[in-house]
Amino acid sequence: MESSHGIILLILLGCMAAYVPVFMCLFFTAVLGFVFFTDLPLLLLAQTLFRSLDNFALVVVLFFILCGNIMTAGSIVEKLIKVANALVSWLPGGLGMAGVLACGLFGAISGSTVATVVALGGFMIPALLENGYPRKYTLGVMTTSPNLGVIIPPSIGMILYSMISNVSLEGLFLTGFVPGILIMLVTCVYTYFYFRNDQQIIRTPIPSSRELLAILKEGFWSLMLPVIIFGGIFSGAFTANEAAVVACVYAFIVELFIHRSMKLSQVKKVTVSSAVTSATLLIIVAGATCFGRLLTLENIPGKITEAVLTAIQSPWTFLLVMNLLLLVVGMFMDIISATMILGPVFLPMLAAFNVDPIHFGLILTVNLAIGYCTPPMGVSLYITGAIADKDLIYVSKAVLPFVAIQIGVLMVMTYMPSVVLWLPRVMGFIQ
Amino acid sequence: MFAKILNVIDKILTFFEDWTLFISVMVALVALFFNVVLRYGFHYTLAWSEELVREVIIYTTFIGCTVAVRNRSTIKIDALVQLVPSLKIPLSYFSNVVTLIFASMMFYYGWKMAAMQVMTNQKTIIMEIPLVYLYAILPLMGATMFIRTIQVMYQDFQQNRNARPVEK
Repeated sequence: MESSHGIILLILLGCMAAYVPVFMCLFFTAVLGFVFFTDLPLLLLAQTLFRSLDNFALVVVLFFILCGNIMTAGSIVEKLIKVANALVSWLPGGLGMAGVLACGLFGAISGSTVATVVALGGFMIPALLENGYPRKYTLGVMTTSPNLGVIIPPSIGMILYSMISNVSLEGLFLTGFVPGILIMLVTCVYTYFYFRNDQQIIRTPIPSSRELLAILKEGFWSLMLPVIIFGGIFSGAFTANEAAVVACVYAFIVELFIHRSMKLSQVKKVTVSSAVTSATLLIIVAGATCFGRLLTLENIPGKITEAVLTAIQSPWTFLLVMNLLLLVVGMFMDIISATMILGPVFLPMLAAFNVDPIHFGLILTVNLAIGYCTPPMGVSLYITGAIADKDLIYVSKAVLPFVAIQIGVLMVMTYMPSVVLWLPRVMGFIQ
Repeated sequence: MFAKILNVIDKILTFFEDWTLFISVMVALVALFFNVVLRYGFHYTLAWSEELVREVIIYTTFIGCTVAVRNRSTIKIDALVQLVPSLKIPLSYFSNVVTLIFASMMFYYGWKMAAMQVMTNQKTIIMEIPLVYLYAILPLMGATMFIRTIQVMYQDFQQNRNARPVEK
């Protein structure tokens, strides 16, 4: 690599470390690159920043965030937890499993992990502790399970990846189910064996069919939400955009008129806060587009691809290196920035190693998700640490078995692509 | 005195930002929802809805961004600050200064681009909205983001002077 490219990288990393908002890091790196390496006017960059947002596909990000926020502000999340509880809490360690299941259900409607940790951790951590679950297990499971929110579609990382790589979004969404369900399953089995002979924890009796029916009836409207989203998208009735819009309207109607858990006055607050959250993500898309301009002008992805191709021969090593690299990146960087910055750099290499872009999109998403709670730097560790008032080292130790499970699943789906690709194939979204 | 002026400006800007965000998101939601209903019920699509939604995305992103500056909720990488908490104060000032530069650039180049749209008198394809109204959001964002950053810096300054622990 030439020294000038090293400088670009250093500026970017320096800005990021210096607590400058990520989109500005990207924008200013592009600005400096333009000034030093090209004769192009800076007006072009400002134009790029503006034009990159003129994209209809981005609206889906806004509405999936809005949908998640409506559910958290109202009582849909609470009802989902109740349903999960009723289904599994009579098993040994059942409440822990219920936490995992609730994260999965929530993930099937919302996109962001950090939001899930806060929303579900607030409910589940105190409940688990009250029922005699050891603190270490509680923090471990509730720090790592929110990753399911990113892995199980709809996932904002996946939406943006499909935008930059032109793979079918529906196809990419479908690949997320298998690893998501595998992680849930293995975590539940681990929980079962962990608590099989434990007398300390409080076990709830098996609910009678009447109780179960009552809870399902209460949670019916909440459970219909994922049905609408996925039924709509995969039957071809809705595009992803339309599904997000319909889900928002549905969630508003349910919370306002059926559950009556949200007041009209809250609607504005929820809408504004969702718009702001989506703005913080979309502006990164705009910043990354500017940065991408510089990369293309200097042909950096091409040069990196050349360097990688001479250093690595087998696809097997390539995937391993990708996994390690992405895991580390995921610790420091949020999934949106990482996808937007690294996606364009890695995409040109895939053909040489015969890696399916859809498969790679999933690897990218799952890796970055696991990075969120990988010790010692993952963001989720700090958040649960703050909720439970424990230090980083304690939380880091607590998450180890669960991170190991997730990395195990990651390895399976990395080296056995057919495990995750059969679902979109069967549904006819990829050849 | 300075605090008072900031306070008044804050109230006005907040009012303006909140309502613009709320109304534009709702308009996009309703337009797209009606589009779905019309497509299924009457096999009819609203040609302008897509264009409208793209404009809403541009507006909400830039306005939302200034709100994020005020709320300190822009996405940053806080690994270094977490590891070395004593760096937080100097780095916050540095990042605020960078934000001021960004805001000024947006104002300057945004103004230039908006002026260009006036000269060429370009309009959007379907709804025929003059593009200057769209581009005007850039200088507007530059100006509000500048004010917001000053406000945040002032808060930081007050807090550090009173030597209270910096709130997150």
